[in-house]
Amino acid sequence: MATENQLRADGPATEGAAADHTATASASATLLSVEGLTVAYGDQTVVRGVDFVLQRGQSLALIGESGSGKSTIAKTVLRLLPPEARVLAGQIQFAGRDVSKLRERQFRPLRGRAFGYVPQDPASALNAVRTIGSQALEAAALLPEGDTAARRARVMETFELVGLADPERVYGSYPHQLSGGMLQRVLIGLAVLPRPALIVADEPTSGLDVTIQKRILDLFSELQRSLGISLLFITHDLAVAAERADTLVVLKDGVVQERGAAGQVFAAPRSEYTRELQADVPAVNPDRYRIGHAAGLARRGESAAIRGTGIRGTGNQIDVRSVSKTFTVGARRVVAIEDISFSVERGTTHALVGESGSGKTTAVRLLLGLEHPDAGEIVIGDESVRSHSRGQWRSLRRHLQLVYQNPFTSLDPTWRLERMVREPLDRFGVGDQAERRDRVREALHSVGLPESMLSRRPTHLSGGQRQRVAIARALVLRPDVVVLDEPTSSLDVTVQAGIIDLLFRLQSELGLTYLFVSHDLSLVRQLADTVSVLQRGRVVEDGPVREVFSQPQHPYTKALVDAIPALPNR
Amino acid sequence: MTDIAVLVTDQLPGDAPGSWSRGRPYFVYALQRLGQAVVVILLAYVLSFVLITVLPGNAIATTLGNPQSGLSPAQVKNVESYYGVTKPVIVQLWLALSRFVRGQLGVSLVTHQTVSSLIGGALPYTLKLAGTALLVALILAAVIAYGSQYLPGKWARSVLRSAPSLFLSVPNFVIGLLLIHEFSFQLHLFDVLDPNSPVGTFFAALALAIPICAPLAEVLIANLDRESGQEYVLVARSRGLTQAKLFARHLVKPSMLPAVTIAALIVGELIGGAVITEEVFGRNGIGSVMYQAVSNQDTPVLQAIVALAAVVFVVVNLIADLVSPLLDPRVRLTAGGRREVATA
Amino acid sequence: MSIAIAPQPARRLSATVRGVFTGVPPTVLLSFVIVAIVVLWALFPGLFTSYSAVLGNPAAKFEAPSALHWFGTDDLGRDEFARVVYGAGASVGTALVAVGIGLFAGGLIGLLAGFLGGWVDAVLGRLVDTLLAIPGFLLAVVVVTGLGFNTLNAAIATGVSSVAIFARLMRAEVLKVRHSVFVESSYLQGGSRGFVLFRHVLPNAYRSVLALAVLQLGSAIIVIAALAFLGYGSPPPASDWGLLIANGQNFATAPWLVYGPAIVIVLTVLSINRISRWLRKTS
Repeated sequence: MATENQLRADGPATEGAAADHTATASASATLLSVEGLTVAYGDQTVVRGVDFVLQRGQSLALIGESGSGKSTIAKTVLRLLPPEARVLAGQIQFAGRDVSKLRERQFRPLRGRAFGYVPQDPASALNAVRTIGSQALEAAALLPEGDTAARRARVMETFELVGLADPERVYGSYPHQLSGGMLQRVLIGLAVLPRPALIVADEPTSGLDVTIQKRILDLFSELQRSLGISLLFITHDLAVAAERADTLVVLKDGVVQERGAAGQVFAAPRSEYTRELQADVPAVNPDRYRIGHAAGLARRGESAAIRGTGIRGTGNQIDVRSVSKTFTVGARRVVAIEDISFSVERGTTHALVGESGSGKTTAVRLLLGLEHPDAGEIVIGDESVRSHSRGQWRSLRRHLQLVYQNPFTSLDPTWRLERMVREPLDRFGVGDQAERRDRVREALHSVGLPESMLSRRPTHLSGGQRQRVAIARALVLRPDVVVLDEPTSSLDVTVQAGIIDLLFRLQSELGLTYLFVSHDLSLVRQLADTVSVLQRGRVVEDGPVREVFSQPQHPYTKALVDAIPALPNR
Repeated sequence: MTDIAVLVTDQLPGDAPGSWSRGRPYFVYALQRLGQAVVVILLAYVLSFVLITVLPGNAIATTLGNPQSGLSPAQVKNVESYYGVTKPVIVQLWLALSRFVRGQLGVSLVTHQTVSSLIGGALPYTLKLAGTALLVALILAAVIAYGSQYLPGKWARSVLRSAPSLFLSVPNFVIGLLLIHEFSFQLHLFDVLDPNSPVGTFFAALALAIPICAPLAEVLIANLDRESGQEYVLVARSRGLTQAKLFARHLVKPSMLPAVTIAALIVGELIGGAVITEEVFGRNGIGSVMYQAVSNQDTPVLQAIVALAAVVFVVVNLIADLVSPLLDPRVRLTAGGRREVATA
Repeated sequence: MSIAIAPQPARRLSATVRGVFTGVPPTVLLSFVIVAIVVLWALFPGLFTSYSAVLGNPAAKFEAPSALHWFGTDDLGRDEFARVVYGAGASVGTALVAVGIGLFAGGLIGLLAGFLGGWVDAVLGRLVDTLLAIPGFLLAVVVVTGLGFNTLNAAIATGVSSVAIFARLMRAEVLKVRHSVFVESSYLQGGSRGFVLFRHVLPNAYRSVLALAVLQLGSAIIVIAALAFLGYGSPPPASDWGLLIANGQNFATAPWLVYGPAIVIVLTVLSINRISRWLRKTS
């Protein structure tokens, strides 16, 4: 039996105070060793022969896109798999002891004490009908301290350790009363409280805003350093992994593609897939889209002249002037946007950047006439849309289309693709039946989907395919302006790359104007011409992308740019 | 017998998008619900009046005019003017409604008693039966729900899962007859038909409870299934909690709270079922009063029973709607705090 | 994306046929068979029995179930099985009427309330609440008292009572679809309100309402049987299943008179419930 001490964290790397943790010098440096792991759900194998090793005090990132099996591996280490999953083969050694053969009753004491778990979505990771404090005491029950008062004191200590400003208030709150960032800190605190040797973090920052992401990751690094905790990190965000982890393991379809030190893997990827990943991640590969973008710019000049005029006017395509909008929800008034202005030149790509609560979605909805501004003016083409009637909006929308963020909810599940893409043509009465069918085929072809899909329903299509359909539908009317509301944020990185390439090509071919809403700054940096940065409903900075990113003026913009993960120094 | 589980469809109070009360604080919500309840009670009375008075064959005059009613012509005249039989229907309705609001339920056309005393005499028996049945149903539903999650053996668990569907397929009078036949007649074990003995009450309550517990059990099972799959349960397990502790601390409360609303909805079935069960088991109660009223065409009594049933239902549901946001912070969340507009 | 090689035509046909049957669980298939049998009883009772449901042979009364009389005979020597078969029309056919009323009236109310919102929703909501507040059984008794004791009237009453539940479900489904992203997208693509209603809202909303309709069929059969049991359905010599049970309860020595019709009711409703659950799962 491994001693208790071997299973707990090593303690601070520097000289520790009390000799609580007798760091057994004879303990090997390998904390976790996974060999030949094969896991299946039903008759589908999701993890195949996976090996990796995590050293004490180090951090290892399991990287992969959706379906790569990374989450399954994490759950297998913790023995938290659902009942349908079966471990077909493999061995897991923890602190030199084979834990894969243990029975549940012998394994359970290890949970929480030897390894902790930090989940992906903090909002759903805590029981909504109980207070934070009562759930924290559960974690504290793993400590040797017997009475409730002592446990509560340790909980408070930990809350401070993870940077919560008002531990008392947090203790007595319900989960819905705290923000996402605070909840994640609570979860990290509870995982760290029993001082486990290993923490498994499953996409711990993917639901959070970029600036908060950075702080949470900093917290992880700090805890790792001061408490000597080893970290097993699951993520799809390669940039984050490259920046923060010591070792990387790249997974695809349940098979390890490559493993090695972080700097090495990205400087010189050896496997095909890792090379592809490295090429497609905007933060990692800063020139991915820039080249295509530049070429597109050149062609734009020509195609703009060829196009007929849909939206009238020769100046800016879109002009938003001092627009404000406040929502009244029940008894509260929420100021969504206040006095924002920006303009978009014909044929260019303008980005709206901001975190949650910044007002960017409201701005988009105002632009499309789905909401009406309280103050200010919106000018599209030459006409002010302030007092547009329903009919006028309808005719304007022929030239102004929207691609939604979530491709799973923006397509009617009961419609076939052909009809879906043809819908705008039908509604606006464009051409005759034959012409419409041709245009639909053309649109589908231009987004790279086979014609055979026309008779299918969206049900079995992947996210990337659905988004292509949504784009085809938006373009079939040949609009002048396409508003893209985070069109790739719910897609895998390689899929995203395909969609962005497609969007560029179409822009240069058809001379489209794009309004691109995103929170992914590294992406925006590469594909937008101009950018407006929004914070809490106001535009804090505005201008050409190159300037804003290289010399940000406003502190918020600086924070956002800082938060973009940087590659490890080679 | 309705599928109550279907009725729920995530309809948390104040949650309907577009509902103007969305986001308003509790006080306004409570007031709104109270107002709705009053309107519904009045409308229910009006509806029962319309059904009884307007439908052919129900005329008070016909019943009174029946020579077997045993009333003297003077008494008949009295009753007729009390009900305003000669006046237009709207006036009759107004008369009846104003009396109802003041708690006067009218006079029986046959026994000359006030309807209130008739019903008042029978009500305690029905309440005893219905109350016991509700208790039995709650226990049954809890047992089925718990067993469906934790009984060892996949086969046993799936049997329990299909139990509610089976219970819904057997009419409660059939269950009653079965119980009577098997226990009293065949096995000579209990005198199931004695309305005063606790055993008799228990069996009658059981017959009533079995179909009632089905929708409740279904909802509890669905909730338990859903909550077990939630992330926070996984996280709690990662802290080394055992199965039992997990259930008690994390699954019970979130699964049960939505069931409060369902329990209120099944009260309607409880009332209807009680009437039938009383007949099968030969017990006194509102049921026998109602059957008498039907065969004698004693319309005011019928109307009062229907109106009272509606009042009970509305009141119980009102209480459930008012109480559940206080118990469940998730509901409070939607009725009061979470923003649903796009601000990102 | 792999390109499937088209299989030989003959194999493709048998694969399709097999596909229809393999997609459906065996209990559901059995349920369909049972329901089909009952429907046939209702439509062509003469095909299933040569006995009369009305005239009996007094010498053969109270005979236990045998090869000659599958459900035994009753107090007038009538073949119980024949009585059950002839009672199917009233017991099940009227249930269809009840569900029809509930589905169309309730569906319409729910659609209007959900789609138009505002004061229409508030008013219709109160009406629906009122119908819901009155227990279905009591409402049925009142209506039957007024309109006359026969099973069709009982069915109408049951239907009226079920309007509330259909309206509620339809309204909830309509609201859900109305606020979905693809509906908003349709408006952006030039759709009008009417277009959205018929082409987007209804096709997405009707599936769960259909599953509910099937479920309500089962519960209507039970309520109608209860009414018949208490004597509020068609009078003898009608052989509504509930009435058969009421008759049978008087003869404790001949339990088959109760069990026969009871088992038929249970099997029928159980099958209907199974089908409804399957519909809900595949919607």
